[in-house]
Amino acid sequence: MKRSAGVLRSLVLFFILGSLVFCPVSEGATELSVFAAASLTESMTRVAEEYGKLVPEVTIVCNFDSSGTLKTQIEQGAECDLFISAGQKQMNELDISAGPKVNKAGLDFVKQGTRFNIVSNKVVLIVPKGRNTKGISDFKDVATDKVSLVALGNSDVPVGQYSEEVYKNLGLWDQLKEMNRITYGSNVKEVLSQVAAAAVDCGVVYGTDAASAEGRVEVVAHAPEGSHRPIVYPAAVMRATRKPVAAAAFASFLRSPECAAIFESYGFSKPGK
Amino acid sequence: MDLFPLYNSLRVAAISTVITFFTGIAAAYYIARTPRIVKGVLDCVLTLPMVLPPTVVGFFLLKMIGPLGPVGSRVLDLFGAKLVMVWYSAIFATTIVTFPLMYRTARGAFEAFDKTLLYSGQTLGLSNTFLFWRVMMPNCRQGILAGTVLAFARALGEYGATTMVTGYIPGRTATISTSVYQFWREGNDALAYKWVAVNLIISAAVLIAVNLLENRYRQPLRAAKDVLSDEEEGVRP
Repeated sequence: MKRSAGVLRSLVLFFILGSLVFCPVSEGATELSVFAAASLTESMTRVAEEYGKLVPEVTIVCNFDSSGTLKTQIEQGAECDLFISAGQKQMNELDISAGPKVNKAGLDFVKQGTRFNIVSNKVVLIVPKGRNTKGISDFKDVATDKVSLVALGNSDVPVGQYSEEVYKNLGLWDQLKEMNRITYGSNVKEVLSQVAAAAVDCGVVYGTDAASAEGRVEVVAHAPEGSHRPIVYPAAVMRATRKPVAAAAFASFLRSPECAAIFESYGFSKPGK
Repeated sequence: MDLFPLYNSLRVAAISTVITFFTGIAAAYYIARTPRIVKGVLDCVLTLPMVLPPTVVGFFLLKMIGPLGPVGSRVLDLFGAKLVMVWYSAIFATTIVTFPLMYRTARGAFEAFDKTLLYSGQTLGLSNTFLFWRVMMPNCRQGILAGTVLAFARALGEYGATTMVTGYIPGRTATISTSVYQFWREGNDALAYKWVAVNLIISAAVLIAVNLLENRYRQPLRAAKDVLSDEEEGVRP
């Protein structure tokens, strides 16, 4: 009796495991792996949905994180068909045609002829909603007593790089660092969450992120004109893609007016160039 | 090389180890005496932080002691003090995560302890406090020491919960673990390696020191009957 119970148990286990391993895979479905900057989380999710309605055989799987992290992942061999960065820097570092000055490691991941600018964005100063007791209203306020802690992206994050540029142009960067007033987040959504949780007095994120968290943060200032390079998001198909046709089709969808309308509804603007 | 992360990590780990030492032992001592069902439930609840991913612990902590959370907002109103984004926020995170380690090791040591020694002491009229500190603790020394070391090592290496409640402010809240992550992210591998080496050296030093201590004080767990038979034969314990 005991023996057969043991045999029965092993059989059941075998069948369960077996069915998991030999699970039927859906035939004919193509999956495109898109690595996109964290600030594109809401908009790209919507774009992927719309594309799924147009082309049901293709499923877009997005990986959102800071462009610096994504670039490192691609470099380390992660499977990626299309990469959308929040800054030219990260794309340049993967593009052999960008030249050795910006692509120091001589990496060649970008498929030549597929790179284009998809959207542009703005950088804003935000505070936790309803908690701006000190009346922070300008980027320069971070150096005053109004602010004890400001959240910025770290130097690997495009929004961090733009924030650094803004503060260097305002002549406050070194002073801020000396005051130990900056807490560094690893991507723009982390900065946003810290401001939303009121763990910091203010933070610098993209206009689109501030819009996505409207109930929790409010914008108090826009970056002064000319205080940073134009924020343009480049997109490109990766050389190592195993679905070049599907990737190229999705890339042309990204350039369509339909897609531009979706991005604009989330607060992005046309790339201009 | 800015040595602040070293100083910060050590002080956070040291303080949280002291806290978990007393709270863990107290919990182990009192919970061992509760009825089975109560003991089971408390065991589960108190061991949970060890089993949960540190980011889950960090999330709950942020929701509780953050400026918008129930505890954090009250403290802010009453004392004007912030509980997050300061160096001592890490102590909350590390204490919660290391408490189960101390608690369980102490519980194990206390349960392996021969209670007849306690009973003999009680028949001699010794107080419970005396029996605890002078009879029970010395005999459970190895278990307690092991728990303390584990708690310290875990506190030193805490990353997930710490980064969520303290952020990363160089010179104010940076710890060794958060610094290594940031340096890697910034592409500063050289500095990251240096801190990894520092961490390895400290951890190795702590473990070696503990090993030496253990060997010096190592005595086999002596049951009451052995002590009594020694006494009969006139052998000094």
